[in-house]
Amino acid sequence: MNREHFSAWERLIDRRTFVGGASLGLGAMALASLMQRGAQAARVGAETSGADPLSGSRGVVQPLHFAPKAKRVIFLCMAGGPSQFETFDEKPKLAELHGQPMPESFTKGQPIAQLQGSPLLALRPLAKFNRHGQSGQQISELLPHIGNIADDICIIRSMQTEQINHDPAQTFLNAGTSVSGRPSMGAWINYGLGSESDDLPGFIVMKSISDSRSPQPISSRQWHSGFLPSRFQGVPVYSQNDPVHFVTNPPGVDRQRQLDVIETINGLNRLRDLDEQNQEIVTRIAQYELAFRMQASVPGLVDVSDEPQHVLDMYGVKGADGSFAYNCLLARRMAERGVRFIQLYHRGWDHHNGIKKYTPEACLSSDQPSAALIADLKQRGMLEDTLVVWGGEFGRTPMAQGDVEGDAVGRDHHIRGFSMWLAGGGIRPGVTYGTTDELGYYAAENPVHIHDLHATMMRLLGIDHERLTYRYQGRDFRLTDVAGRVVDGVLA
Amino acid sequence: MGGDGIPKSAWEAAPRAWLPLAFALVGWLAAILMAGNLTAAEVPTYNRDVRPILSDRCFACHGPDSGKRAAELRLDTEAGAHELAIIAGAADESELITRVTTDDPDLQMPPADSKKPRLTPQEIDVLRRWIDGGAKYEPHWAYVPPVRKETPAVQQADWPRNEIDQFVLARLEGAGIAPSPQADPTTLVRRVYFDLTGLPPTPEQVDEFVQDASPDAYERLVDRLLASEAYGERMASWWFDLVRYANTVGYHGDQEHRITPYRDYVIKSFNDNLPFDQFTIEQLAGDLLPNATMWQRVASGYNRLLQTTHEGGAQDAEYRAKHNADRVRNVSETWLGASIGCAECHDHKFDPYSAEDFYSLGAIFADVDLWGSFEKVSKNNSPTERPPEMLAWTLPTYRKILEVDAKIVEIEKSLDDTLVEGKWQELRKQLVQLRTERAELEGEFEPTMVTEAIEPRECRVLPRGNWMDQSGKIVVPRVPRFMPQIETDGRRVNRLDLAKWLVSRDQPLTARVEINRLWQRLFGVGLSKTVIDLGAQGEWPVNQDLLDWLAVEFMESGWDVKHMMRLMVTSAAYRQSSLPREELESIDPENRLLARQSRFRLDAEEIRDNALAVSGLLVTQTGGGVSRPYQPAGYYAPLNFPEREYQPTLNREQFRRSVYAHWQRQFLHPWLLAFDAPTREECTAQRPISNTPSAALVLLNDPSFVEAARVLAANALASNDSNDAAQLEKTWHTVVGRPAKIEEITLLQQLLEKHREHYAAHRADAEALLRVGMTAAPETVDAAELAAWTSVSRALLNLHETISRN
Repeated sequence: MNREHFSAWERLIDRRTFVGGASLGLGAMALASLMQRGAQAARVGAETSGADPLSGSRGVVQPLHFAPKAKRVIFLCMAGGPSQFETFDEKPKLAELHGQPMPESFTKGQPIAQLQGSPLLALRPLAKFNRHGQSGQQISELLPHIGNIADDICIIRSMQTEQINHDPAQTFLNAGTSVSGRPSMGAWINYGLGSESDDLPGFIVMKSISDSRSPQPISSRQWHSGFLPSRFQGVPVYSQNDPVHFVTNPPGVDRQRQLDVIETINGLNRLRDLDEQNQEIVTRIAQYELAFRMQASVPGLVDVSDEPQHVLDMYGVKGADGSFAYNCLLARRMAERGVRFIQLYHRGWDHHNGIKKYTPEACLSSDQPSAALIADLKQRGMLEDTLVVWGGEFGRTPMAQGDVEGDAVGRDHHIRGFSMWLAGGGIRPGVTYGTTDELGYYAAENPVHIHDLHATMMRLLGIDHERLTYRYQGRDFRLTDVAGRVVDGVLA
Repeated sequence: MGGDGIPKSAWEAAPRAWLPLAFALVGWLAAILMAGNLTAAEVPTYNRDVRPILSDRCFACHGPDSGKRAAELRLDTEAGAHELAIIAGAADESELITRVTTDDPDLQMPPADSKKPRLTPQEIDVLRRWIDGGAKYEPHWAYVPPVRKETPAVQQADWPRNEIDQFVLARLEGAGIAPSPQADPTTLVRRVYFDLTGLPPTPEQVDEFVQDASPDAYERLVDRLLASEAYGERMASWWFDLVRYANTVGYHGDQEHRITPYRDYVIKSFNDNLPFDQFTIEQLAGDLLPNATMWQRVASGYNRLLQTTHEGGAQDAEYRAKHNADRVRNVSETWLGASIGCAECHDHKFDPYSAEDFYSLGAIFADVDLWGSFEKVSKNNSPTERPPEMLAWTLPTYRKILEVDAKIVEIEKSLDDTLVEGKWQELRKQLVQLRTERAELEGEFEPTMVTEAIEPRECRVLPRGNWMDQSGKIVVPRVPRFMPQIETDGRRVNRLDLAKWLVSRDQPLTARVEINRLWQRLFGVGLSKTVIDLGAQGEWPVNQDLLDWLAVEFMESGWDVKHMMRLMVTSAAYRQSSLPREELESIDPENRLLARQSRFRLDAEEIRDNALAVSGLLVTQTGGGVSRPYQPAGYYAPLNFPEREYQPTLNREQFRRSVYAHWQRQFLHPWLLAFDAPTREECTAQRPISNTPSAALVLLNDPSFVEAARVLAANALASNDSNDAAQLEKTWHTVVGRPAKIEEITLLQQLLEKHREHYAAHRADAEALLRVGMTAAPETVDAAELAAWTSVSRALLNLHETISRN
């Protein structure tokens, strides 16, 4: 890609897309001008940023490699690393070993984080497990609402990753590598599939406001587009101040005044284009129109006053407070509006200490909204084409951190075996896939690496993960690096 | 035609395009011929024509990577290929041709499971003719030292202004294309101002140039711009992207680290025109120079610019491995245009870099003291302490000290016995004052991270990059094996040796790499468009003779950056109009032959600096502190350790140039992100140019731009012009850099009148708009009038032309 070019085919605009997507509501002049210029676009198209001038842009995977089962993804990121022992992976043997040293056969030569140099003593599971639904899935008592949707979800107990500290592990979860500068999965998927929304970005990220202990910092690397064109990067939506940066007019400028200014800008740009014959100008005109539409659609997205009380209650939403519950409700609203990849961060799962207090707290704030999202999507008939993923960048150790008998005990980071769950679009519901060993240290049967998770997600979206590549620095990069296999066992 | 070459993508495009097929095919054929510069009769050459094909489709399994080599066949060496796959002079008997042409799925290459596309008939034809012609190999072009070829003869002898133009014109004439006429003076002056200083000319500066009829008016303008302080600021942004200069650590809590004096060093070096070889040496090894000056030690902060972490539980060995890889990637990408990073886990698949080369290059940096990255010097503070640090002056203080010193010397010289008593005492008094002043200035220092050498750590190859595997071979510091080695008589190779090697006359890459990148900044696309990578997967330069001529000129001029910039911007090629020409769209759609200039959007920093400059808000001060533009509240809420709230600069330093803006790697200002500024986690040699609604929202609504519009409006109303049209014309000229057309003024006039009426009826709205930003609105002007003019100014600052360089 050079400064003027993205790729030859992206600049050759499909005329049908052009006309079909041009319902701008900005007056007939704009539309007429766009259509007229559409006919010229290919001829003088040599200088474009590659931005499709209209929303509803196509992805590069044409046609899809497989019949898609899901159209969109909602990724519920439990940042910090939830403990599998108090959520989805019951380990009675660990209780028997409580307070004893972990057998060296488990721990020798393994990477550890904050427990470096400390004794490695087993810590019993701190929650009871119950069987739920017809499937009889085992889920901790701390997650009763998720228990209620047990028949809709597929629990994976054998997740594995490669990075043991938060930042690199989150990067690995999002980009399939810990090296900076690579695209995140939301960017890859929008690059591959394009956007379905006329007035919202295809990749939206929300971080929950939390009053829990030391919320995890979440870096923008997690939703960056890396070497992909920057329009594929995630757009953060905020629950306070402007929901999207600068989406609100300056003070004293109402919607009509803003429209006047934009129409003047576009009118002047159109005049200039007569002299310059520049595809970039045509694109810019369309992007100003899209920006103006976003200024109306984004506030509508985050304003939940049109939701009935029983829906608010279902999620546990108390207002536009930026809580995980509020964000889960917004996730459903984004899904309805065609946002392709929606990522929510719950930031309260790093329980090196105080796990007896903080894990129940984190479960409480995550449980009901996560379950409500599944139930809500289901009742609207959207679960079947929405893939939902719930999980963190890693799990936690079977070993105690701190005094094993004390109230302040916690668990350290753990990467060899941990749990996640998936639901919706093409996922086999009501099953548990994979196991860890009797102490919950290693993934035993059917290990699922993060690369495998990515490969599986892409398969459900209709993409062969080995074929969605992007050439950079002379190499074809992909989300799954040089690995990844589709986990057939979790597919419906 | 490997890489992201034109033919492949054009081929893919053709069926989708609604254009007549014939048109698409003509374009495609022309593109093939141009990209390869190959006519049907010519024998293909290995480097230009064959290697891109083999590298793209074959080398992954039959190339330099010994770990992945299949069937013991390697096609990247003449011996390997001729032993098994190629019979020179007999394409039809060569296994290579059989394999790429067969339909037998068991035999065909590349195999289906490689997911690599099969060779096109054109590519097979190239291989066939190459083998029939003897299948001669050549070393990769970029690994052979550049030589200065004689400048080619041209027909249109009055066009070239210097050697660049002869190379450019010869290619154009070969393709039967005429160059474009010179850009009109208003376009040209704005272009060269932005390219050399990152700032727009004032209307007076435009007029001065347009009205200067002397034959060397342009050259004198270029000299003035190269001598301006703004030049160094502009060049520094380029360098900061490469070396990933930022104000924060990058990982996890993304705390601030202390490094601003390094920033000033870079700006100062470009302005002083420090030779690029010395610039290289000081950054990599300033601490190793005898009697290193303050600036040389500050320069060694380069080795500390990598991303570091304060995350609890970070394992030292893991981060040492991360730091090592980060450093090798940056040195190789910044200076060698090489993607050696691949070799962290395995031998490089396309270039002859082995994993051992990777770790051996890293071992040269094994003496860099990083203890501040591993010891908890202070817990969760921002800024962090990251020893080793030194106390250094930023540029403004340094310059004041120089001034004071000069005065002291002058007075000391004049203090002799011939002075009358009173005069002597007066001078003594002044001297005491100056020395006091100097002592005070000396106290104005800032901590900055630097390099200090310690006993080098032991370095091993980490098998597959795994830091937990300590079974790999211990490596000694050296440069990649296939390149000329550094001779030290057995002494351990150190950073100073490496730096000198990088800028030695027989190092084939450095000069080409940097010139190619400077060329990109001035012409829109590099002579090889893969500016980050000139290795085997990089693009064959569209005009290698020109690139090599420039590289040699760069070295032989004493690595004189200003000389090279001057040479390029004074060429006729640079001065051409950028307007598209219909006939070029089919023969040279990417404008690689340079039959015209390129046109592109300005960088993020330029876009804001332009708004500040045209509104008169810009505060010029070279170096010093960090400036914090207004930013949405709560933007740093996802950060922790410690939690923090951004505090915008609320004095005149708010309006300094954007090169001084705080660069938070993980939460880059939304304006920088929207206009494609990189996070500076990794080396960035090329910023993408996007065109998005986010960018529109920034220009429309970000208070920095609204305030600039407001101040611009106040300036318009403060002028002596009595009527709207004259004021609109003047404001237009200030912002866009050219006189307005009547239709343009009409559109603005309509907006002005509508909003004048609206705000007269909605005075509270007008007053609210005038409160944006920290600059007070003039009380003498009617609020409604000023608000209406602010709408006009906002429109002007948003124009495509305003944020473009043509």
